[in-house]
Amino acid sequence: MSGRERALDLDLGLGLLDHQIVDRDERNCGKVDDLELTGLSSAEPEVSAVLVGGNAWRGRGLLGRVAAALSGNARHLPWSEIDDVSSVVTLKHAAHELGLGRGDDRAARLVRHLPGS
Amino acid sequence: MRQFLQIALGILSAIGGFVDIGDLVFNTQAGATFGFQLLWVVVVGVVGIIVYSEMCGRVAAVAKRPVFDLVRERVGFGAGLGTLIASSVVNLMTCAAEVGGVAIALQLLSGLPYRFLILLGVLGVVLISWALPFEWIERLFGYVGLCLLVFAVAAVKVHPDWGQVAHGFVPGMHTGSHLVFLYFMVGLLGAALTPYEVYFYSSGAVEDGWGPKDLRINKITSVVGYGLGAFLSFALMILAAVLFLPRGISPQFLGTPALGAQDALGKIGLLLALVGILFAVGGAAIETSFSGAYNLAQFFGWQWGKRERPSGAPRFALSWIVIFLLALGIVMSGYDPVKLTEYSVIFSVVALPLTFLPILLVANDPAYMGRYRNGRLSNVLGVAYFALILAIAASAIPLLVLTNGGQG
Repeated sequence: MSGRERALDLDLGLGLLDHQIVDRDERNCGKVDDLELTGLSSAEPEVSAVLVGGNAWRGRGLLGRVAAALSGNARHLPWSEIDDVSSVVTLKHAAHELGLGRGDDRAARLVRHLPGS
Repeated sequence: MRQFLQIALGILSAIGGFVDIGDLVFNTQAGATFGFQLLWVVVVGVVGIIVYSEMCGRVAAVAKRPVFDLVRERVGFGAGLGTLIASSVVNLMTCAAEVGGVAIALQLLSGLPYRFLILLGVLGVVLISWALPFEWIERLFGYVGLCLLVFAVAAVKVHPDWGQVAHGFVPGMHTGSHLVFLYFMVGLLGAALTPYEVYFYSSGAVEDGWGPKDLRINKITSVVGYGLGAFLSFALMILAAVLFLPRGISPQFLGTPALGAQDALGKIGLLLALVGILFAVGGAAIETSFSGAYNLAQFFGWQWGKRERPSGAPRFALSWIVIFLLALGIVMSGYDPVKLTEYSVIFSVVALPLTFLPILLVANDPAYMGRYRNGRLSNVLGVAYFALILAIAASAIPLLVLTNGGQG
Protein backbone atom coordinates (compact mmCIF):
# COMPACT_ATOMS: atom_id res chain seq x y z
CA MET A 1 0.00 0.00 0.00
CA SER A 2 1.36 3.38 -0.88
CA GLY A 3 2.18 5.93 1.79
CA ARG A 4 0.28 8.42 -0.29
CA GLU A 5 -2.83 6.32 -0.56
CA ARG A 6 -3.02 5.30 3.09
CA ALA A 7 -4.04 7.77 5.74
CA LEU A 8 -1.06 7.85 8.09
CA ASP A 9 -1.43 8.78 11.71
CA LEU A 10 2.25 9.30 12.25
CA ASP A 11 4.37 11.11 14.81
CA LEU A 12 7.09 12.45 12.53
CA GLY A 13 9.62 12.70 15.34
CA LEU A 14 9.12 9.20 16.74
CA GLY A 15 7.70 7.31 13.77
CA LEU A 16 9.69 8.59 10.80
CA LEU A 17 12.80 10.60 11.64
CA ASP A 18 15.92 8.45 12.16
CA HIS A 19 14.18 5.31 10.92
CA GLN A 20 15.77 2.74 8.63
CA ILE A 21 15.13 3.06 4.90
CA VAL A 22 14.92 -0.15 2.86
CA ASP A 23 14.57 -0.31 -0.89
CA ARG A 24 12.15 -2.37 -2.96
CA ASP A 25 14.43 -5.41 -2.57
CA GLU A 26 14.49 -4.98 1.23
CA ARG A 27 18.10 -3.83 1.27
CA ASN A 28 19.13 -1.24 3.84
CA CYS A 29 20.05 2.01 2.11
CA GLY A 30 20.26 4.77 4.70
CA LYS A 31 18.28 6.49 7.42
CA VAL A 32 15.67 9.22 7.44
CA ASP A 33 18.21 11.87 8.40
CA ASP A 34 15.92 14.86 7.98
CA LEU A 35 12.55 15.82 6.53
CA GLU A 36 11.58 18.55 4.13
CA LEU A 37 8.24 20.07 5.03
CA THR A 38 6.20 22.33 2.77
CA GLY A 39 3.12 24.39 3.34
CA LEU A 40 4.00 25.15 6.95
CA SER A 41 1.92 28.31 6.85
CA SER A 42 -1.04 26.52 5.29
CA ALA A 43 -3.67 24.46 7.07
CA GLU A 44 -2.19 21.20 5.81
CA PRO A 45 1.60 21.15 5.90
CA GLU A 46 3.07 18.05 4.36
CA VAL A 47 6.34 16.12 4.16
CA SER A 48 7.59 16.77 0.65
CA ALA A 49 10.92 14.93 0.83
CA VAL A 50 13.08 12.66 2.93
CA LEU A 51 16.74 13.68 3.23
CA VAL A 52 19.38 10.97 3.45
CA GLY A 53 23.03 11.28 4.46
CA GLY A 54 25.64 14.02 4.12
CA ASN A 55 24.66 17.54 5.00
CA ALA A 56 21.18 16.41 6.08
CA TRP A 57 22.85 16.01 9.48
CA ARG A 58 23.50 19.77 9.67
CA GLY A 59 20.37 20.44 11.68
CA ARG A 60 20.97 17.57 14.11
CA GLY A 61 22.91 19.15 16.96
CA LEU A 62 26.59 19.94 17.41
CA LEU A 63 27.87 16.47 16.49
CA GLY A 64 25.51 16.50 13.50
CA ARG A 65 27.06 19.77 12.26
CA VAL A 66 30.55 18.29 12.58
CA ALA A 67 29.48 15.10 10.76
CA ALA A 68 27.77 17.16 8.02
CA ALA A 69 30.89 19.28 7.50
CA LEU A 70 32.84 16.07 6.81
CA SER A 71 30.26 14.66 4.38
CA GLY A 72 28.88 15.36 0.93
CA ASN A 73 25.44 16.41 -0.19
CA ALA A 74 22.28 14.74 1.06
CA ARG A 75 19.98 12.80 -1.25
CA HIS A 76 16.49 14.29 -1.54
CA LEU A 77 13.89 11.57 -1.91
CA PRO A 78 10.49 12.94 -2.96
CA TRP A 79 7.74 11.59 -0.70
CA SER A 80 6.20 9.98 -3.78
CA GLU A 81 9.10 7.49 -3.70
CA ILE A 82 7.96 6.18 -0.32
CA ASP A 83 5.96 3.00 -0.60
CA ASP A 84 5.21 2.31 3.05
CA VAL A 85 6.05 3.44 6.56
CA SER A 86 6.12 0.78 9.25
CA SER A 87 9.03 0.28 11.66
CA VAL A 88 11.08 0.84 8.49
CA VAL A 89 10.51 3.17 5.54
CA THR A 90 10.15 1.17 2.32
CA LEU A 91 10.93 2.68 -1.08
CA LYS A 92 9.23 1.97 -4.39
CA HIS A 93 12.46 1.51 -6.30
CA ALA A 94 15.88 -0.09 -5.94
CA ALA A 95 18.45 1.92 -3.99
CA HIS A 96 20.80 2.44 -6.93
CA GLU A 97 17.98 3.92 -9.06
CA LEU A 98 17.58 6.63 -6.42
CA GLY A 99 21.27 7.28 -5.84
CA LEU A 100 21.25 5.57 -2.43
CA GLY A 101 23.61 2.94 -1.03
CA ARG A 102 26.53 4.33 -3.03
CA GLY A 103 28.92 3.78 -0.13
CA ASP A 104 28.04 0.08 -0.11
CA ASP A 105 28.55 -0.04 -3.90
CA ARG A 106 32.02 1.52 -3.58
CA ALA A 107 32.97 -0.79 -0.71
CA ALA A 108 31.66 -3.80 -2.65
CA ARG A 109 34.07 -3.05 -5.52
CA LEU A 110 36.92 -3.27 -2.98
CA VAL A 111 35.63 -6.33 -1.12
CA ARG A 112 35.00 -8.31 -4.32
CA HIS A 113 38.77 -8.51 -4.90
CA LEU A 114 39.15 -10.62 -1.77
CA PRO A 115 38.86 -14.41 -2.11
CA GLY A 116 35.70 -15.97 -0.73
CA SER A 117 33.81 -12.67 -0.70
CA MET B 1 12.84 -32.22 20.07
CA ARG B 2 14.39 -29.82 17.59
CA GLN B 3 13.42 -26.89 19.75
CA PHE B 4 14.86 -28.59 22.81
CA LEU B 5 18.12 -29.09 20.94
CA GLN B 6 18.12 -25.46 19.84
CA ILE B 7 17.58 -24.32 23.43
CA ALA B 8 20.32 -26.64 24.72
CA LEU B 9 22.76 -25.38 22.09
CA GLY B 10 21.89 -21.76 22.86
CA ILE B 11 22.44 -22.31 26.56
CA LEU B 12 25.76 -24.06 26.03
CA SER B 13 27.11 -21.26 23.87
CA ALA B 14 25.78 -18.65 26.31
CA ILE B 15 27.71 -20.31 29.16
CA GLY B 16 30.90 -20.45 27.13
CA GLY B 17 30.25 -16.97 25.76
CA PHE B 18 29.46 -15.32 29.09
CA VAL B 19 33.03 -15.20 30.30
CA ASP B 20 35.41 -12.87 28.52
CA ILE B 21 38.64 -11.19 29.51
CA GLY B 22 36.75 -8.64 31.66
CA ASP B 23 35.23 -11.40 33.80
CA LEU B 24 38.53 -13.28 34.01
CA VAL B 25 40.41 -10.18 35.16
CA PHE B 26 37.86 -8.61 37.51
CA ASN B 27 36.59 -11.79 39.18
CA THR B 28 40.12 -13.04 39.84
CA GLN B 29 41.34 -9.69 41.14
CA ALA B 30 38.23 -9.24 43.26
CA GLY B 31 38.68 -12.69 44.84
CA ALA B 32 42.39 -12.09 45.45
CA THR B 33 41.67 -8.71 47.06
CA PHE B 34 38.40 -9.19 48.96
CA GLY B 35 37.94 -12.96 49.20
CA PHE B 36 34.30 -13.99 48.86
CA GLN B 37 32.92 -10.60 49.86
CA LEU B 38 32.00 -9.52 46.33
CA LEU B 39 30.16 -12.67 45.20
CA TRP B 40 26.78 -10.94 45.66
CA VAL B 41 27.80 -8.24 43.18
CA VAL B 42 28.16 -10.91 40.45
CA VAL B 43 24.58 -11.98 41.19
CA VAL B 44 23.39 -8.36 40.86
CA GLY B 45 25.30 -8.02 37.57
CA VAL B 46 24.06 -11.26 36.05
CA VAL B 47 20.42 -10.52 36.87
CA GLY B 48 20.89 -7.17 35.12
CA ILE B 49 22.28 -8.72 31.93
CA ILE B 50 19.47 -11.32 32.00
CA VAL B 51 16.82 -8.56 32.30
CA TYR B 52 18.22 -6.45 29.46
CA SER B 53 19.14 -9.37 27.19
CA GLU B 54 15.66 -10.79 27.50
CA MET B 55 14.22 -7.35 26.78
CA CYS B 56 16.37 -6.65 23.73
CA GLY B 57 15.80 -10.21 22.43
CA ARG B 58 12.04 -9.66 22.80
CA VAL B 59 12.24 -6.31 21.01
CA ALA B 60 14.27 -7.96 18.26
CA ALA B 61 11.71 -10.76 17.91
CA VAL B 62 8.60 -8.56 17.97
CA ALA B 63 9.65 -5.16 16.56
CA LYS B 64 12.50 -6.60 14.44
CA ARG B 65 14.78 -3.76 15.52
CA PRO B 66 18.34 -4.25 16.79
CA VAL B 67 19.68 -2.10 19.62
CA PHE B 68 21.50 0.59 17.66
CA ASP B 69 18.45 1.17 15.46
CA LEU B 70 16.59 1.92 18.67
CA VAL B 71 19.36 4.15 20.00
CA ARG B 72 19.15 6.23 16.84
CA GLU B 73 15.34 6.27 16.73
CA ARG B 74 14.89 7.13 20.39
CA VAL B 75 17.70 9.50 21.32
CA GLY B 76 18.11 11.12 17.88
CA PHE B 77 21.13 11.79 15.72
CA GLY B 78 23.27 13.95 18.05
CA ALA B 79 23.05 11.90 21.25
CA GLY B 80 22.98 8.73 19.14
CA LEU B 81 26.23 9.72 17.42
CA GLY B 82 27.75 10.45 20.85
CA THR B 83 26.70 6.97 21.98
CA LEU B 84 28.09 5.48 18.77
CA ILE B 85 31.47 7.16 19.28
CA ALA B 86 31.64 6.12 22.96
CA SER B 87 30.56 2.55 22.25
CA SER B 88 32.96 2.28 19.30
CA VAL B 89 35.89 3.38 21.47
CA VAL B 90 34.87 0.87 24.15
CA ASN B 91 34.32 -1.90 21.60
CA LEU B 92 37.74 -1.26 20.11
CA MET B 93 39.46 -1.25 23.51
CA THR B 94 37.65 -4.45 24.47
CA CYS B 95 38.50 -6.09 21.15
CA ALA B 96 42.17 -5.11 21.64
CA ALA B 97 42.12 -6.55 25.16
CA GLU B 98 40.57 -9.81 23.91
CA VAL B 99 43.11 -10.04 21.06
CA GLY B 100 45.88 -9.53 23.62
CA GLY B 101 44.26 -12.28 25.69
CA VAL B 102 44.33 -14.62 22.69
CA ALA B 103 48.05 -13.96 22.27
CA ILE B 104 48.78 -14.49 25.97
CA ALA B 105 46.85 -17.79 26.03
CA LEU B 106 48.65 -18.93 22.86
CA GLN B 107 52.00 -17.94 24.39
CA LEU B 108 51.32 -19.89 27.58
CA LEU B 109 50.34 -22.90 25.47
CA SER B 110 53.20 -22.72 22.95
CA GLY B 111 56.04 -20.66 24.41
CA LEU B 112 56.42 -18.75 21.13
CA PRO B 113 57.13 -14.96 21.10
CA TYR B 114 54.20 -12.75 22.18
CA ARG B 115 54.24 -10.31 19.24
CA PHE B 116 54.33 -13.10 16.68
CA LEU B 117 51.34 -14.67 18.44
CA ILE B 118 49.40 -11.37 18.38
CA LEU B 119 49.78 -11.40 14.58
CA LEU B 120 48.90 -15.07 14.38
CA GLY B 121 45.91 -14.61 16.69
CA VAL B 122 44.46 -11.70 14.69
CA LEU B 123 45.06 -13.53 11.42
CA GLY B 124 43.31 -16.56 12.91
CA VAL B 125 40.19 -14.72 14.11
CA VAL B 126 39.94 -12.70 10.85
CA LEU B 127 40.19 -15.85 8.72
CA ILE B 128 37.71 -17.73 10.90
CA SER B 129 35.25 -14.80 10.79
CA TRP B 130 35.67 -14.47 7.03
CA ALA B 131 35.50 -18.12 6.05
CA LEU B 132 33.29 -20.00 8.50
CA PRO B 133 29.48 -19.86 8.61
CA PHE B 134 28.41 -18.05 11.73
CA GLU B 135 26.73 -21.03 13.45
CA TRP B 136 30.07 -22.83 13.31
CA ILE B 137 31.91 -19.89 14.81
CA GLU B 138 29.35 -19.59 17.60
CA ARG B 139 29.49 -23.29 18.39
CA LEU B 140 33.25 -23.66 18.03
CA PHE B 141 34.01 -20.87 20.50
CA GLY B 142 31.00 -21.50 22.74
CA TYR B 143 31.59 -25.24 23.15
CA VAL B 144 35.38 -25.26 23.42
CA GLY B 145 34.98 -22.28 25.79
CA LEU B 146 33.18 -24.74 28.07
CA CYS B 147 36.67 -25.97 29.03
CA LEU B 148 36.39 -23.05 31.47
CA LEU B 149 34.16 -25.32 33.56
CA VAL B 150 37.49 -26.63 34.86
CA PHE B 151 37.43 -23.55 37.11
CA ALA B 152 34.21 -24.76 38.70
CA VAL B 153 35.79 -28.18 39.39
CA ALA B 154 38.94 -26.49 40.71
CA ALA B 155 36.92 -24.19 42.97
CA VAL B 156 35.32 -27.25 44.61
CA LYS B 157 38.66 -29.12 44.80
CA VAL B 158 40.36 -26.35 46.81
CA HIS B 159 37.78 -26.90 49.58
CA PRO B 160 36.67 -23.35 50.30
CA ASP B 161 34.89 -22.65 53.56
CA TRP B 162 31.36 -22.96 52.15
CA GLY B 163 29.90 -21.07 55.08
CA GLN B 164 32.03 -18.07 54.18
CA VAL B 165 31.20 -18.53 50.50
CA ALA B 166 27.49 -18.42 51.37
CA HIS B 167 28.13 -15.31 53.45
CA GLY B 168 29.65 -13.69 50.34
CA PHE B 169 26.25 -13.85 48.67
CA VAL B 170 24.76 -11.61 51.34
CA PRO B 171 25.04 -8.00 50.18
CA GLY B 172 27.26 -5.89 52.35
CA MET B 173 30.32 -3.71 52.54
CA HIS B 174 33.56 -4.88 54.10
CA THR B 175 36.39 -3.83 56.33
CA GLY B 176 39.19 -1.88 54.68
CA SER B 177 39.23 0.56 51.79
CA HIS B 178 35.67 1.40 50.79
CA LEU B 179 36.80 3.14 47.62
CA VAL B 180 38.67 0.08 46.32
CA PHE B 181 35.67 -2.08 47.24
CA LEU B 182 33.40 0.28 45.30
CA TYR B 183 35.83 0.23 42.36
CA PHE B 184 35.60 -3.56 42.21
CA MET B 185 31.82 -3.40 42.53
CA VAL B 186 31.69 -1.12 39.48
CA GLY B 187 34.19 -3.32 37.63
CA LEU B 188 32.28 -6.55 38.34
CA LEU B 189 28.98 -4.96 37.32
CA GLY B 190 30.63 -3.56 34.18
CA ALA B 191 32.16 -6.95 33.34
CA ALA B 192 28.73 -8.62 33.64
CA LEU B 193 26.72 -5.88 31.91
CA THR B 194 28.94 -5.51 28.86
CA PRO B 195 27.16 -3.48 26.17
CA TYR B 196 28.69 -5.45 23.29
CA GLU B 197 26.85 -8.60 24.43
CA VAL B 198 23.55 -6.73 24.11
CA TYR B 199 24.41 -5.35 20.64
CA PHE B 200 25.53 -8.77 19.48
CA TYR B 201 22.60 -10.68 20.92
CA SER B 202 19.90 -8.40 19.52
CA SER B 203 21.50 -8.10 16.08
CA GLY B 204 21.81 -11.88 15.88
CA ALA B 205 18.15 -12.31 16.84
CA VAL B 206 17.02 -9.86 14.12
CA GLU B 207 19.22 -11.54 11.59
CA ASP B 208 17.98 -15.00 12.49
CA GLY B 209 14.47 -13.73 11.80
CA TRP B 210 13.16 -14.31 15.34
CA GLY B 211 9.43 -13.89 15.76
CA PRO B 212 7.04 -14.08 18.73
CA LYS B 213 7.29 -17.91 18.62
CA ASP B 214 10.95 -17.57 19.61
CA LEU B 215 10.21 -15.62 22.79
CA ARG B 216 10.38 -18.77 24.90
CA ILE B 217 13.83 -19.61 23.55
CA ASN B 218 14.84 -16.00 24.21
CA LYS B 219 13.73 -16.20 27.81
CA ILE B 220 15.30 -19.60 28.53
CA THR B 221 18.60 -18.76 26.78
CA SER B 222 18.93 -15.47 28.66
CA VAL B 223 18.01 -16.78 32.08
CA VAL B 224 19.64 -20.22 32.05
CA GLY B 225 22.61 -19.42 29.78
CA TYR B 226 23.70 -16.27 31.58
CA GLY B 227 22.70 -17.71 34.93
CA LEU B 228 24.94 -20.73 34.47
CA GLY B 229 27.64 -18.50 32.99
CA ALA B 230 27.64 -16.64 36.31
CA PHE B 231 28.77 -19.85 38.01
CA LEU B 232 32.05 -19.53 36.15
CA SER B 233 32.44 -16.04 37.60
CA PHE B 234 31.76 -17.39 41.10
CA ALA B 235 34.31 -20.16 40.50
CA LEU B 236 37.00 -17.70 39.40
CA MET B 237 36.43 -15.53 42.46
CA ILE B 238 36.32 -18.47 44.91
CA LEU B 239 39.51 -19.94 43.45
CA ALA B 240 41.33 -16.61 43.72
CA ALA B 241 40.01 -16.09 47.25
CA VAL B 242 41.31 -19.48 48.42
CA LEU B 243 44.61 -19.58 46.54
CA PHE B 244 45.77 -15.99 46.00
CA LEU B 245 44.41 -13.91 48.88
CA PRO B 246 46.25 -15.78 51.69
CA ARG B 247 49.52 -15.66 49.72
CA GLY B 248 49.17 -11.95 48.94
CA ILE B 249 49.23 -12.58 45.18
CA SER B 250 47.76 -9.71 43.19
CA PRO B 251 46.86 -11.14 39.76
CA GLN B 252 48.17 -8.67 37.21
CA PHE B 253 48.49 -11.31 34.52
CA LEU B 254 45.89 -13.16 32.47
CA GLY B 255 47.59 -16.51 33.11
CA THR B 256 47.08 -16.25 36.88
CA PRO B 257 43.60 -17.84 37.00
CA ALA B 258 44.95 -20.76 34.95
CA LEU B 259 47.60 -21.27 37.62
CA GLY B 260 44.73 -21.59 40.09
CA ALA B 261 43.31 -24.46 38.03
CA GLN B 262 46.78 -26.06 37.91
CA ASP B 263 47.17 -25.75 41.65
CA ALA B 264 43.91 -27.65 42.16
CA LEU B 265 43.97 -30.15 39.28
CA GLY B 266 47.52 -30.41 38.00
CA LYS B 267 48.66 -30.22 34.38
CA ILE B 268 45.32 -31.23 32.88
CA GLY B 269 43.69 -28.40 34.85
CA LEU B 270 46.19 -25.91 33.47
CA LEU B 271 45.73 -27.14 29.91
CA LEU B 272 41.92 -27.06 30.05
CA ALA B 273 41.99 -23.61 31.66
CA LEU B 274 44.30 -22.18 28.97
CA VAL B 275 42.29 -23.72 26.11
CA GLY B 276 39.09 -22.43 27.72
CA ILE B 277 40.56 -18.94 28.11
CA LEU B 278 41.85 -18.99 24.51
CA PHE B 279 38.43 -19.82 23.08
CA ALA B 280 36.49 -17.59 25.46
CA VAL B 281 38.57 -14.50 24.63
CA GLY B 282 38.85 -15.50 20.95
CA GLY B 283 35.05 -15.72 20.70
CA ALA B 284 34.71 -12.42 22.55
CA ALA B 285 37.22 -10.78 20.16
CA ILE B 286 34.97 -11.76 17.25
CA GLU B 287 31.84 -10.60 19.08
CA THR B 288 33.36 -7.19 19.89
CA SER B 289 34.57 -6.54 16.35
CA PHE B 290 31.19 -7.56 14.93
CA SER B 291 29.38 -5.47 17.53
CA GLY B 292 31.39 -2.43 16.44
CA ALA B 293 30.43 -3.11 12.82
CA TYR B 294 26.76 -3.69 13.73
CA ASN B 295 26.61 -0.37 15.54
CA LEU B 296 28.13 1.61 12.69
CA ALA B 297 25.92 -0.07 10.09
CA GLN B 298 22.74 0.28 12.14
CA PHE B 299 23.42 3.91 12.99
CA PHE B 300 24.05 4.96 9.38
CA GLY B 301 21.57 2.54 7.81
CA TRP B 302 24.00 0.34 5.85
CA GLN B 303 23.31 -3.23 4.82
CA TRP B 304 24.60 -5.48 7.61
CA GLY B 305 24.66 -9.08 8.69
CA LYS B 306 27.01 -11.83 9.72
CA ARG B 307 25.12 -14.27 7.54
CA GLU B 308 25.58 -12.14 4.42
CA ARG B 309 28.52 -12.79 2.11
CA PRO B 310 31.05 -9.95 2.70
CA SER B 311 30.24 -8.55 -0.76
CA GLY B 312 26.54 -8.46 0.21
CA ALA B 313 27.20 -6.18 3.20
CA PRO B 314 30.56 -4.67 2.19
CA ARG B 315 30.81 -1.67 4.54
CA PHE B 316 29.85 -3.93 7.43
CA ALA B 317 32.55 -6.45 6.41
CA LEU B 318 35.18 -3.74 6.00
CA SER B 319 34.21 -2.29 9.39
CA TRP B 320 34.89 -5.46 11.37
CA ILE B 321 38.14 -6.04 9.50
CA VAL B 322 39.28 -2.46 10.26
CA ILE B 323 38.32 -2.92 13.94
CA PHE B 324 40.51 -6.04 14.10
CA LEU B 325 43.38 -4.18 12.41
CA LEU B 326 43.09 -1.24 14.84
CA ALA B 327 42.99 -3.69 17.76
CA LEU B 328 46.11 -5.33 16.34
CA GLY B 329 47.84 -1.93 16.23
CA ILE B 330 46.90 -1.17 19.85
CA VAL B 331 48.16 -4.49 21.21
CA MET B 332 51.30 -4.47 19.06
CA SER B 333 52.17 -1.02 20.40
CA GLY B 334 52.69 -2.68 23.77
CA TYR B 335 49.60 -1.87 25.85
CA ASP B 336 49.15 -4.46 28.59
CA PRO B 337 45.93 -6.42 27.83
CA VAL B 338 45.02 -6.63 31.52
CA LYS B 339 45.27 -2.84 31.95
CA LEU B 340 43.35 -2.40 28.68
CA THR B 341 40.65 -4.70 30.06
CA GLU B 342 40.32 -2.69 33.25
CA TYR B 343 39.98 0.57 31.31
CA SER B 344 37.60 -0.91 28.72
CA VAL B 345 35.29 -2.33 31.41
CA ILE B 346 35.23 0.94 33.37
CA PHE B 347 34.65 3.06 30.24
CA SER B 348 31.98 0.65 28.99
CA VAL B 349 30.00 1.44 32.13
CA VAL B 350 29.87 5.08 31.03
CA ALA B 351 28.33 4.08 27.66
CA LEU B 352 25.71 1.83 29.29
CA PRO B 353 22.88 4.30 30.07
CA LEU B 354 22.36 5.46 26.48
CA THR B 355 22.49 1.84 25.31
CA PHE B 356 19.95 0.53 27.83
CA LEU B 357 17.53 3.47 27.91
CA PRO B 358 16.25 3.02 24.31
CA ILE B 359 15.74 -0.72 24.96
CA LEU B 360 13.67 0.06 28.05
CA LEU B 361 11.62 2.73 26.24
CA VAL B 362 10.87 0.62 23.18
CA ALA B 363 10.13 -2.52 25.23
CA ASN B 364 7.38 -0.41 26.85
CA ASP B 365 6.05 1.09 23.64
CA PRO B 366 2.78 -0.56 22.58
CA ALA B 367 3.25 0.78 19.04
CA TYR B 368 6.35 -1.39 18.67
CA MET B 369 5.55 -4.23 21.02
CA GLY B 370 1.77 -4.65 21.16
CA ARG B 371 0.87 -7.31 23.73
CA TYR B 372 4.51 -8.28 24.12
CA ARG B 373 5.43 -5.03 25.85
CA ASN B 374 7.14 -5.17 29.24
CA GLY B 375 5.21 -6.72 32.08
CA ARG B 376 5.40 -5.44 35.63
CA LEU B 377 8.41 -7.58 36.61
CA SER B 378 10.45 -6.52 33.56
CA ASN B 379 9.63 -2.88 34.25
CA VAL B 380 10.41 -2.92 37.95
CA LEU B 381 13.73 -4.68 37.28
CA GLY B 382 14.41 -2.62 34.13
CA VAL B 383 13.92 0.71 35.93
CA ALA B 384 15.82 -0.42 39.04
CA TYR B 385 18.76 -1.54 36.94
CA PHE B 386 18.64 1.63 34.90
CA ALA B 387 18.95 3.66 38.11
CA LEU B 388 21.86 1.43 39.18
CA ILE B 389 23.51 1.87 35.79
CA LEU B 390 23.22 5.65 36.08
CA ALA B 391 24.84 5.53 39.51
CA ILE B 392 27.74 3.33 38.44
CA ALA B 393 28.20 5.30 35.19
CA ALA B 394 28.58 8.49 37.20
CA SER B 395 31.04 6.95 39.67
CA ALA B 396 33.11 4.72 37.35
CA ILE B 397 35.79 7.15 36.19
CA PRO B 398 36.17 9.01 39.52
CA LEU B 399 36.70 5.62 41.21
CA LEU B 400 39.22 4.56 38.56
CA VAL B 401 41.23 7.73 39.24
CA LEU B 402 40.82 7.81 43.03
CA THR B 403 41.83 4.17 43.53
CA ASN B 404 44.56 4.18 40.90
CA GLY B 405 42.81 1.37 39.03
CA GLY B 406 41.94 -0.62 42.16
CA GLN B 407 45.49 -0.49 43.54
CA GLY B 408 44.35 1.63 46.47
